[in-house]
Amino acid sequence: MHHVLVIGAGTMGTVHAKSYAAMKNVELVGIVDLRGERGRELAAETNTQWFASYDEAMEKLERVDIIDVCLPTYLHKTYVQKAADAGKHVICEKPLARSKEEAQSIVDYCHEKNVKLFVGHVLRFFPEYEKSRQLVNDGTIGNVGVARTFRGGIFPTAWNDWYADYKNSGGLVLDMIIHDFDFLRWCFGDVERVYAKSLLGRGFARIDYALVTLRFKSGMIAHVEGSWAHEGFSMKMELAGSEGIIQYDSAKEKPLIAVNRAKQAGMGGVAVPESPLRENPYFRELKHFIDCIENDLQPRVTVEDAVKAVEIARAALESIETGKPVTLV
Amino acid sequence: MKLGIISVAHMHAYSYANAIGKLAGVQLVGVADEDEARGKEAAEKWGVPFYHDYRELLAADVDAVIITSENAKHHEHTVAAAKAGKHILCEKPLATTLAAAQEMIEICREQGVILQTAFPVRFHPAVVRAKQLVEQGKVGRIMAIRGTNRGQNPGGWFVDPAKSGGGAVIDHTVHVVDLMRWFMGVEVREVYAEVDSKFSPTPIDDCGILTMEFENGVFATLDCSWSRNKTFPVWGDVTMEIIGTEGTISLDAFSQKLDVYSNDKGLKWVNWGDDMDSQLVSDFVASVREKKAPSVTGEDGMRAVEVALAAYQSAESKQPVVIR
Repeated sequence: MHHVLVIGAGTMGTVHAKSYAAMKNVELVGIVDLRGERGRELAAETNTQWFASYDEAMEKLERVDIIDVCLPTYLHKTYVQKAADAGKHVICEKPLARSKEEAQSIVDYCHEKNVKLFVGHVLRFFPEYEKSRQLVNDGTIGNVGVARTFRGGIFPTAWNDWYADYKNSGGLVLDMIIHDFDFLRWCFGDVERVYAKSLLGRGFARIDYALVTLRFKSGMIAHVEGSWAHEGFSMKMELAGSEGIIQYDSAKEKPLIAVNRAKQAGMGGVAVPESPLRENPYFRELKHFIDCIENDLQPRVTVEDAVKAVEIARAALESIETGKPVTLV
Repeated sequence: MKLGIISVAHMHAYSYANAIGKLAGVQLVGVADEDEARGKEAAEKWGVPFYHDYRELLAADVDAVIITSENAKHHEHTVAAAKAGKHILCEKPLATTLAAAQEMIEICREQGVILQTAFPVRFHPAVVRAKQLVEQGKVGRIMAIRGTNRGQNPGGWFVDPAKSGGGAVIDHTVHVVDLMRWFMGVEVREVYAEVDSKFSPTPIDDCGILTMEFENGVFATLDCSWSRNKTFPVWGDVTMEIIGTEGTISLDAFSQKLDVYSNDKGLKWVNWGDDMDSQLVSDFVASVREKKAPSVTGEDGMRAVEVALAAYQSAESKQPVVIR
């Protein structure tokens, strides 16, 4: 039985806690969040205890094997190091850190302390993305020449509005489309050159939109679109190869739509679309990480992958700031 | 009004001829083509005289010509037509160099003939409506635009740079750049592009992503790749995502379609929307009749070509290219 402590009861902490609560070989030993109401609520929901601080949890809990860090990005380093100091394995949300250097220092620290580190690049566990990669590897669409991705929705609202603080979150490029950077690297190898534009620094508040062009070492060209300017979350992908094309649009792939009949004339009912799976991608990801800990396996997402993803995002941000293409070494 | 067609190198000649056939008071009176087999086939189909030499067509009783020759020949044909006093609807891209485009515009001005660039997408009802929505302020101030104009590799002379001036970048940059300019009324200031040859057996640019900055501070990207394969349900697309301070507009011009599954061809899209080429020809004819300035000018054609040429330059230097 793996004893897991989740730090942070925000959106991702909630998803992770619920996943652990459903795992037979995991005991969710606690939820840490400085917001008592939110922390208690999630703890009750997942049948565990709430702690107001990490230190309190570590003091009171008899046994913790794994610490899952679901905190704002700028707090990752502090808490991963605390966990490593305590000799616990760490599962950390993406992005690992705000800069490549910070990410590397976290990796090095965990290595020194001899604890395992896993980073939640969950897109690699979304079956539609996993299957696409498989099809590419099988040669179904030949050599891919151009890849296009979209990820977006409304501007995220969270604790302390930390997403709106660019220095702490890195904004849309570091927090959101890093998913696509990582997925594309997983499929097509390392990136050579990055050119990007976004609304950053153009005087618009609480809205962001980014268009990033990646040139891969393989020669492939990718266009990565990210938005915090749209209504309703969706993600899209197109891989165009010499022998075929793969397309995916989450807004179109909804096997289930429930609609409440409008109670008042003239008022539309609200449609709630779902794409249910026996195991959701977050559950699959965390189960894989637990399995890697249990059986000492190399994870699907390595720490190097996590550092590289931050490096690409940082290069995009540098390009946005300078207006020049950025070549990765 | 009597119209002639100079060259059927570009397949649009067929839809333009078809459009002429539907217009009252307008007559197609001849087709010229240096490729006899190609030209005669079209002439027979349309039931009009064939001229091996376009100069003979220009010497005949013709009011205006549609030039659908290979891109690199637009200049020669436009200059000759203008000197013969004929109004001109010229296929896009207007020219393969800026100097050629400039000269075409000047000669037409001197000769007092209309030079219209064939940008049919401007006449698509969804595009017209999108422009209206933008002008009504529905999305507030435009901040960014994401565009695509992808297609199949057309092959033939399109992949011979001597005749086409280039591949996907010159072929598929101009339509959507024209729409962006038209929607905002400003020019492109800077262009960056990643361009390569990834899909074709011939070594020609067949994929590209352009990133542009406009004079009004709006940024945009455009995918001009010939990345649609044989079994894709449609030959290509024209899409725009317009991001404004108050909302977004998603435009997909080819989305008025039926999904048709045949045992023969698998899934194909069959369009039931309005025919843009007819609207384009009818607009050109109206301009000639009313002796007014064309709704899409030679200058518009040149500005779009300018962006495509800057994209090639950027891809070569791996740096953004400042146009103005």
